[in-house]
Amino acid sequence: MKAAPFAYVRPGTVADVVAELSRDGSKVIAGGQSLVPVLAMRLGRPTQLIDINAVPELGELSRDGGSLRVGAAVRQRQLQREEIAAAVPLARMALPWVGHREIRSRGTVCGSIAHADPSAELPAVAACLGATMVLRTGHGTRQVPAADFFTGALSTAIEPDELLSEVIFPVAKRGEGFGFGEFARRHGDFALAGVAVRVHTSEASVEARLTCFGVSDVPVTVDVSQQLRSALQRTGSDPSRADLLSALADHTPDVAGDVVDTVGDSHASPAYRRQLISALAAREVSRAYVSARLSESEECSR
Amino acid sequence: MNLPQPYARTEADQAVEVNLTINGTEVHLSLPARVTLSDALRDHLGLTGTHVGCEHGICGMCTVLVDGDAARACLLFAAQLDGAEITTVEGLGRQDELHPLQESFGRHHGLQCGFCTPGFLMSSYDLLTHEPGVQRDDLPAELSGVLCRCTGYRNIIDAVDDVAQTHRGTLPAPGNCGKRALVGRTAAAATGPAAISAESTFDEEPAERPQEIDLPAGDPTIHIEVTSRLDSNPTEVARVFGDIRLLARCLPGAELTDELGADWYRGRARIALGPMRMAFNGIAHIEEQSADRIVMKAQGKDAGGGALARIIMTAAAVDGGGTALQADASVFLTGRIAGFGRSLAGDVSRRMFEEFARAVDRAASGEEEPTAGTRPPGAISLLFGTIVDRVRQFLRRLASGVWRRH
Ligand SMILES: Cc1cc2nc3c(=O)[nH]c(=O)nc-3n(C[C@H](O)[C@H](O)[C@H](O)COP(=O)(O)OP(=O)(O)OC[C@H]3O[C@@H](n4cnc5c(N)ncnc54)[C@H](O)[C@@H]3O)c2cc1C
Ligand code: FES
Ligand code: FES
Repeated sequence: MKAAPFAYVRPGTVADVVAELSRDGSKVIAGGQSLVPVLAMRLGRPTQLIDINAVPELGELSRDGGSLRVGAAVRQRQLQREEIAAAVPLARMALPWVGHREIRSRGTVCGSIAHADPSAELPAVAACLGATMVLRTGHGTRQVPAADFFTGALSTAIEPDELLSEVIFPVAKRGEGFGFGEFARRHGDFALAGVAVRVHTSEASVEARLTCFGVSDVPVTVDVSQQLRSALQRTGSDPSRADLLSALADHTPDVAGDVVDTVGDSHASPAYRRQLISALAAREVSRAYVSARLSESEECSR
Repeated sequence: MNLPQPYARTEADQAVEVNLTINGTEVHLSLPARVTLSDALRDHLGLTGTHVGCEHGICGMCTVLVDGDAARACLLFAAQLDGAEITTVEGLGRQDELHPLQESFGRHHGLQCGFCTPGFLMSSYDLLTHEPGVQRDDLPAELSGVLCRCTGYRNIIDAVDDVAQTHRGTLPAPGNCGKRALVGRTAAAATGPAAISAESTFDEEPAERPQEIDLPAGDPTIHIEVTSRLDSNPTEVARVFGDIRLLARCLPGAELTDELGADWYRGRARIALGPMRMAFNGIAHIEEQSADRIVMKAQGKDAGGGALARIIMTAAAVDGGGTALQADASVFLTGRIAGFGRSLAGDVSRRMFEEFARAVDRAASGEEEPTAGTRPPGAISLLFGTIVDRVRQFLRRLASGVWRRH
């Protein structure tokens, strides 16, 4: 299982990357953790690979007001390690689930989002947080919100001549809490089903977003504020996690029924995936709510 | 993380130039862009410790360290790693001084067939250096990137947990990194400061003799110092020392094929060890030759790799008659034959010298023409002698009670 021959180029600037991308049959290689297996199995035979790892600008990981900007060459392990990335706790919660440490050493954050595997964690994080994808070509730049970015299994709004140059994640605000969980047959495998949750609490309101992955061809985001509020009506606004979990458990099966949209496979039937989503959603929404309440009372925001 | 240098396009049928530091040795490779790091290590550099199972990232057999982080060598094109520092399992420990992780895997029976072991060692090295506080309960998930067909994992977990507990934050760095010769199975695939001389003269039949035989910097693969007691007296030995052709005939399996002038010689050497047969073509340069001392450098290449050596032989009179013939040899093995156990290679070299010394003795006494050169040294006798020696040692240790099961 060896890749077919390809031309190789490693430009030093974004301008050169996008110029190369305008050649037919070109593909970006970032960490190669999804692309190399595709090439090895000859499922893909690009005529040219453009290695983006020598572009200093694409290696940047920076904080800009309320945003964390993650360049296309930033590795997944870098996001786990660098202090600056703690400002996006949901990404930090999701990363340990992305493959194994050996994969995260090389795999990039943007590469995972560009690859858009339906079972992948980082696309779900991007969807749940409403991240923004920055796409560049020779003639300009456009920004695509997560809601419009994932168009199908392994398909995104990226055009063949476009580079995903960075992903912009919103930094966690005061009153926000997060939850992340998934079920896989072995740690590090792609999830049979998983959820990412963001809860925002303030005196006036409680809002909750649930993004499910592994259960449809794109990450599916639903507003579960109503379900959370109903549960809180029964438990009061300062419940223990266990109490909130059992109150929520009554509401999540309906949500799961709506989001699970697969025919099932040899690993799990749609019904089993619904059960997983329902259980994971109750667990992670309650976790997110409790941590949102904590962050609300914190002196300074993150 | 260091960024690689920009690199202009190479077409699909051309080679990419790559500089890497592998286990402390700088190497230069010129290979097609589609060659993975695992293939570059195994096929171009002869470092077959990195195993290859699935070739698409699932099994973890090929795990190595890239700039200190564990990564899949089968999911990286070598071309992408220009300037990177790679550590393979060969760099982790020495045969005579294993890394604590290697030692622990052995002690806990964490390996059966050993196919997954390089992957587990490199993966757990990364884990323990980056998360020294890791708890036993987390080990199954943290080590889930490597698959084992044999052990059931319990012993592997025990082995890693043991080192985690005894080395919290104090895990020794890889202990076998340094400058050495790396030359692969495909001739002239790699060159580097350490390997340039090897590459330039490892051609089957070097047309010209080189200016000098450059030995790689750093520790030799094997260093032997042997003294043999000859019955012949020093004057008789001096006669053999003075006749290079006679001397060559004393060397088991060696044959002088050409005299290149100025004390340069071309020759062949055949060694057979059980099922392994190696035929080295090479050259030798006598740097110093006197009645009681010879200093020479030699290099040879076989399809499976190469050897470079510096040999100093001295003859000294012994009280009560006879001569002490001493050899001091530093041998650098490259390629496949370097994968030979260091100690086995050392034993074989030692026995070859002993056979040589006996032949010198015979030649010196004029008793008979040495015949070592006319046939390969008895494969059987070499291997046999080596094994018999080992069995003797083993029995001796058993008898003295030194050797005990852990
Ligand atoms: C054994 C194994 C287990 C894994 N498990 C998981 C898992 O559990 N969860 C998970 O999410 N992932 C998993 N992965 C995939 C891994 O996370 C990859 O890191 C990720 O999907 C791709 O990132 P990359 O940087 O390696 O991209 P590459 O492999 O280099 O590229 C992937 C695709 O995206 C395109 N691309 C990459 N970067 C850009 C860009 N900047 N602009 C435009 N196009 C781009 C490439 O052309 C290619 O088509 C696993 C991989 C392996 C080998
Ligand atoms: S050979 Fe690289 S992971 Fe299997
Ligand atoms: S020891 Fe045989 S595969 Fe692990």
